Amino acid sequence: MVSKTTDIDREKVIEIKGLHKSFGDYQVLRGVDLDLYKRENLVVLGKSGTGKSVLIKIIVGLLTPDAGEVKVLGRIVDQISYRELLELRLKVGFSFQNSALYDSMTVRENLEFPLVRNQRRLTRGEVNSAVEEMLDAVGLLQTINQMPSELSGGQRKRIGIARTLILRPEIMLYDEPTAGLDPITCLEINSLINEVQERFHTSSIIITHDLTCAKAVGDRVAMLLDGRFERQGTFEEVFATDDQRVKPFYDYNFIQ
Amino acid sequence: MQASDNRRKITVGIFIFLGLAIFVVGVFTLGSQKKAFVNSFTVDVIFDDIQGLKSGNNVWFSGVKIGTIKKIQFYGTSQVQVFLNIEEQAHKYIHKDAAASISSDGLIGNKIIVITGGTPKFPFVEDGDRLRVNSTLSTDDIMKTFQVNNKNLVEVTSDFKILAKSLVEGKGTAGTLLTDQQVAEDFKKIVANLKNTTASANKMAAELNTFSKTLNTKGGFADKVLTDTVVFARLQSSVDELQKTAGSAAALTENLNKASAKLNQSDNAIGVLLNDQKTAEQVKAIMLNMETSSKKLDENLEALQHNFLLRGFFRKKAKAEAEGNKQ
Amino acid sequence: MFITLSDVFQFMGRFFKEAFMPPYEGRELLKQCYDIGYKSLALISLTGFITGIVFTKQSRPSLAEFGATSWLPSLVGIALLRTLAPLLTSLIAAGKVGSSIGAELGSMRVTEQIDAMEVSATNPFKFLVSTRVMACTITIPILTFYTALVGMLGALLNVAMSEGTSARLFFQASLESITFLDITASTIKAVLFGFTIGVVGCYQGYYSSKGTEGVGKAANSSVVIGMFLIFIEEVVSVQFFGLFRT
Repeated sequence: MVSKTTDIDREKVIEIKGLHKSFGDYQVLRGVDLDLYKRENLVVLGKSGTGKSVLIKIIVGLLTPDAGEVKVLGRIVDQISYRELLELRLKVGFSFQNSALYDSMTVRENLEFPLVRNQRRLTRGEVNSAVEEMLDAVGLLQTINQMPSELSGGQRKRIGIARTLILRPEIMLYDEPTAGLDPITCLEINSLINEVQERFHTSSIIITHDLTCAKAVGDRVAMLLDGRFERQGTFEEVFATDDQRVKPFYDYNFIQ
Repeated sequence: MQASDNRRKITVGIFIFLGLAIFVVGVFTLGSQKKAFVNSFTVDVIFDDIQGLKSGNNVWFSGVKIGTIKKIQFYGTSQVQVFLNIEEQAHKYIHKDAAASISSDGLIGNKIIVITGGTPKFPFVEDGDRLRVNSTLSTDDIMKTFQVNNKNLVEVTSDFKILAKSLVEGKGTAGTLLTDQQVAEDFKKIVANLKNTTASANKMAAELNTFSKTLNTKGGFADKVLTDTVVFARLQSSVDELQKTAGSAAALTENLNKASAKLNQSDNAIGVLLNDQKTAEQVKAIMLNMETSSKKLDENLEALQHNFLLRGFFRKKAKAEAEGNKQ
Repeated sequence: MFITLSDVFQFMGRFFKEAFMPPYEGRELLKQCYDIGYKSLALISLTGFITGIVFTKQSRPSLAEFGATSWLPSLVGIALLRTLAPLLTSLIAAGKVGSSIGAELGSMRVTEQIDAMEVSATNPFKFLVSTRVMACTITIPILTFYTALVGMLGALLNVAMSEGTSARLFFQASLESITFLDITASTIKAVLFGFTIGVVGCYQGYYSSKGTEGVGKAANSSVVIGMFLIFIEEVVSVQFFGLFRT
């Protein structure tokens, strides 16, 4: 296992205080406090339906919080104008659980899409080389003219990450990066996440319920229990407990 | 990818261009038909009754479409002012004394305005001129005229019956009448008039006969709208004639009344009639003519009553009469 | 199934705001015009042609009873240009285009593609909705013109074969009873119908519920609500334009 305790700058890029969010009568987040430090990989663990995805969707402004404050790169997300939000989103990459590739476009067009739309002054050549470079970085240059439907799940994940990275974000948010993949592909994705951190100097939040993944990529782990982060720390710290809400999680993944 | 993008651009361009071309050609075709893009000028006419004329209806001159109705508005207490948009080209054919009337381009066709008449001694119409109205007859008017005409003829005939009876019975003195040159002359003139009248009444009756026959053969009638127009025009002219006839018949009746009054008064007209064999025969012939023609008119009325177009009118009339009788 | 009016008006308001504010998505608009307009041309033309023939054929017996088959061109002209062309085009487009917009946007919503656009700092409303609504509003009237022409040609074919009427006489007679108001009204109606198809399809798709069922529902209600609204608008616009007829 790779040791992840590199020199972490203690500068906060994301600060969340007292975040509440409910859907109807169902309270998903009940007072979440969470900080993300610069160049750190933070893994958020939790069972399905505990609001992990809701949390990062609030961070990029796809959902609005009921109460609490979400500060990203010094800006309070739900208080800035739409134009400012778009600018902020350029700096925050979001990798979707099921990749969310645009079905009607080829891989090349998928990668071009955010680029040509946000940097309109780029020449054709610059766009092409940026696309190729990024595809090369995820090791899928050969798929450039294929349609998303022709790709495997792991390939789609990588293309999705490449499409996010092409805007050179400062923060990466991964929503279940290894969900639905075979163990070998999971490992590939894990190393890709680490590679991204090293190569593009991103700070990341990785949402998962896969402890192998959490152990592999997480500098820090936070566990979402009952709408709050009750346990934060290194992987070992978080699971050094007899809490019946935590233990089965660990047991299921590692005792077989 | 770039090439397919361009091809798509061209396809969409052609698609939209052709679509708009269809629209533009359509609008221009319609425009040329409606003469919307032809220079035109406006004249107006004031009618008492426009018989359901609508703006957009056509304006005809000598059977040629020369414009459309632009606007219709009330004028004065109950009249209607109609503005006509007339092509510039027609300008040099319409004189200031031309008259407008409301007609129809077929028996069940659209209402139109027909401009007729105009004499070269008047200058050409100009923009903003007001044309005279040439009042036309509605079906009601036609029927009224028929009725009056018929009554008059019956009256005249009965007068003559009395006169002839007197003649046969040999009443009155011949001497006075002989000397009374004036009365004799008058009488001759009356007889001549009467002859004319009956002749035209006959002619008209014949025309009416043809007309109602055409009307009654339903299939043939609707088939040929063109024929209908001709028939309608003929009907109008015969109505015109009828009116004239009725007018002269009325005058004639008056004359005859005077004459017979004189005859009865002075008791001496009979002589000249008795002696003047020719006059007597003429009178007889006239009487015969008149009887035939009034009979024919009756027949015509009968035929018209059965005609589906005019049936409504007669029904109304019969109803009104029945009500009148009740009271 | 019925959507709240205020939401729809908000949606329309947003469309107008986004559609006329730069940056413009010209390339995407072109693509949508191609997909929505050009790709529907064959289907809609064929339908128009058949309608022209059938309508003329079916109207003949009742006119023949009066011996007035010479009125066929003007009857067909009024029916096609006033009502059938815009209505027919829009109903077919509601089926073909409306459902595909609803399904496409619906599946994009379900698979988070819309969210993905959002987070890659692209305004998905502008890119997906504005272009589609605009493309519908532009191409449906264009398609209506094609339908009108092709329908008239169908009617001409039928009349020419049965009555031997010449093309010139046919068009003269059929345009005789058509006014500029009719053509204007038809064009405005077509624009309105196109807009309706676009807005309904996009609204249903854009706000479709999660899951594959949501996609099906979005596609289905795009068609049903679209057609329903088109008929309502037809009735209202007949009343409205009636005010201008004297």
